[in-house]
Amino acid sequence: MMDLFFKPKSVAVIGASGTPGKLGYVIVNNIANSDFSGSVYPVNPKSDEILGYKVYKSLTEIPGDVDLVITALPTPKMTVATLEECARKGVKAVIIESAGFAEMGGDGVGYQKQIVDIAKKNNIRVMGPNCSGIVSRNIVTSIYPMNKKVPKGNVVLIGQSGLLAAGMAADIVENESLNISKVVSFGNKCDVSENDLLEYFGHDDSVDVISMYLETISDGRNLTRIAKKVAAKKPVIFLSGGRTEAGAKAAMSHTGSIASNAKIVEAAVKQTGMIMADDFTELKDFAKVFSTQPLPKGNRIAVITLAGSVGVNVSDLCASHGLELPKLTLETTEKLKDMFDTPVSNPVDLYFSVTKIGFTKTLETTFPEAFRDANIDAAVLILAGFEYTQEAVQKKIIQKIVKEVGKPVVICMIVGYNKYKNVIMDEMGKELPVFPSLISGVKALSKLCEYGIRRQKLLVP
Amino acid sequence: MTTAQILSRARQEKRTVLTEIEAKQILGEAGINCTSTVLATTKAEAVVLSEEIGYPVVLKISSVDITHKSDSGGVKVNLANKEAVEQAYDAIMTSCRAYAPEAEIEGVAVQGMAKVGTEIIMGMIKDASFGPVVMFGLGGVLVEVLKDVSFRIVPIDKADAEDMTSEIQGKKLLAGYRGQDPADVPCLQDMLVKLSDFVNETPGIEEIDMNPVFAYKDGAVVVDARIILSA
Repeated sequence: MMDLFFKPKSVAVIGASGTPGKLGYVIVNNIANSDFSGSVYPVNPKSDEILGYKVYKSLTEIPGDVDLVITALPTPKMTVATLEECARKGVKAVIIESAGFAEMGGDGVGYQKQIVDIAKKNNIRVMGPNCSGIVSRNIVTSIYPMNKKVPKGNVVLIGQSGLLAAGMAADIVENESLNISKVVSFGNKCDVSENDLLEYFGHDDSVDVISMYLETISDGRNLTRIAKKVAAKKPVIFLSGGRTEAGAKAAMSHTGSIASNAKIVEAAVKQTGMIMADDFTELKDFAKVFSTQPLPKGNRIAVITLAGSVGVNVSDLCASHGLELPKLTLETTEKLKDMFDTPVSNPVDLYFSVTKIGFTKTLETTFPEAFRDANIDAAVLILAGFEYTQEAVQKKIIQKIVKEVGKPVVICMIVGYNKYKNVIMDEMGKELPVFPSLISGVKALSKLCEYGIRRQKLLVP
Repeated sequence: MTTAQILSRARQEKRTVLTEIEAKQILGEAGINCTSTVLATTKAEAVVLSEEIGYPVVLKISSVDITHKSDSGGVKVNLANKEAVEQAYDAIMTSCRAYAPEAEIEGVAVQGMAKVGTEIIMGMIKDASFGPVVMFGLGGVLVEVLKDVSFRIVPIDKADAEDMTSEIQGKKLLAGYRGQDPADVPCLQDMLVKLSDFVNETPGIEEIDMNPVFAYKDGAVVVDARIILSA
């Protein structure tokens, strides 16, 4: 059933419009600009043609089958009427993007219930209401214009947020900052919920990372069961909004008075092996690290820097995020003895090496030697945005070394001229996780290590 | 009485609160070790039961209407002989009748005086979305002030129980602190799994407190327990 949303053969847009700027126009335009190759049926009683597509007066007038209906109608009442029409037409998947339902309270709650009743009775799966639907290469139903093709990536973002499939998706697609494959905003989730999508993307082998934002948890017991299964195979990054510390209810027991929604959600995250994100940027940043870097086998980090003070700061951050900075092996120390004025330690201060053989050469030879060390599982590399780093950036040396060594790296950039920093952020940032602060990089790496260690444990029976 | 019988009687009597005796019977049937606790409906019976169990004993008011047993003066501990039990029985009845004149009192629960161990709290609550959730923590002041507890969603397995006991801030206290005996942590983990199994298989339970549980070097025992049924 879920395939009807993501791989439909025919799509009808109810409330389609020929007026640029209107929601009903943006949706049709987004579909037109996607790789969707099936039939597109705009529905509007007052138009004949929109963006070259023949317009139908009503859903029932459409000649063939309709796999997916997208509605963006001005009133809940019209939406309810449309759903009834969908039932008559035999449509099995509907995305309701309009607002005015349960999120508004009052009459909206009743309208949403009518939607649910019609859907149940007729085996229709409904996404929304109050959502922006899907952004993918194959189909875009979002109400926000996508100016470039959506990547065929390995990350999905799902959640109860219009922002995800609108502003955030547009940002990611335009800047190519994350290798997404699908973004799904499911709003009030009157039917299709996080559990359906987790299960669906859990089974989809083209998806390597799932990032999820929820404001309510429809069925936590089921979520726990599904997330545990999915997170054992692929990382599930979870941002939970609207958690409260208030007691779960007016409890009669001691246990009940201590239990809170926030504590229970946190317990579920730990129990299932999901990765907790604390804000929207982390939802994206963690996905970047998980989707581009291999999983480490442990939490032993090499900190690679040219500035002693930064090394000290990163060391402290590693300690507070559960990461270790072990000594390098004697073998490595011996190999690198000419590149350091004092025996190499961790943080690995490359300054002497850079003065001796230059920055590019140091990154090509000294850095991988330390990174390859048997005591090291992953690295934090501090990179500055100045002219002297540009050659190495252009030659994609770090990318090559990461690939060759097979261990994860995060790059933190805290100083530089914007013209060079932007190159690192934009260009290198397409392939590697680049962070504008030390704490964000260390935190993201700590999540990767935590998950890597959990996966290692799962391998041992 | 079996768990099923206790639950169905409570339903018939339209009550959601089980007595301590009922709660311990149910938990015992679920494989969780509780102090043996029996009901005495008269003073003479209290003496007979105390002698059977062996001094020292504890007497606690047994009434579904009195939930705060200590506040009502309904708990007398460390009773070493017949006279002490008789005096305690009278004192409990007088004090509880004054505290809650309307309360229906079925008698006193007589139980052996458990040797003090590391004080633990375990419990369960039903969350509207997640369903039953189990809790583990250090009891007494630590739970009152610091809320140093861990939760997991039912059903839990052994690994979850291990995470629960190692997640709390005060886990050093379980390892035996300043010459105190360590707590039998595997036994506590086993109790958590049994608690989870029990609530997973038994619908209609709203809340459970096992507070305190005394953990020893070998084994652990539930000293007081409450079970609240769903309305």
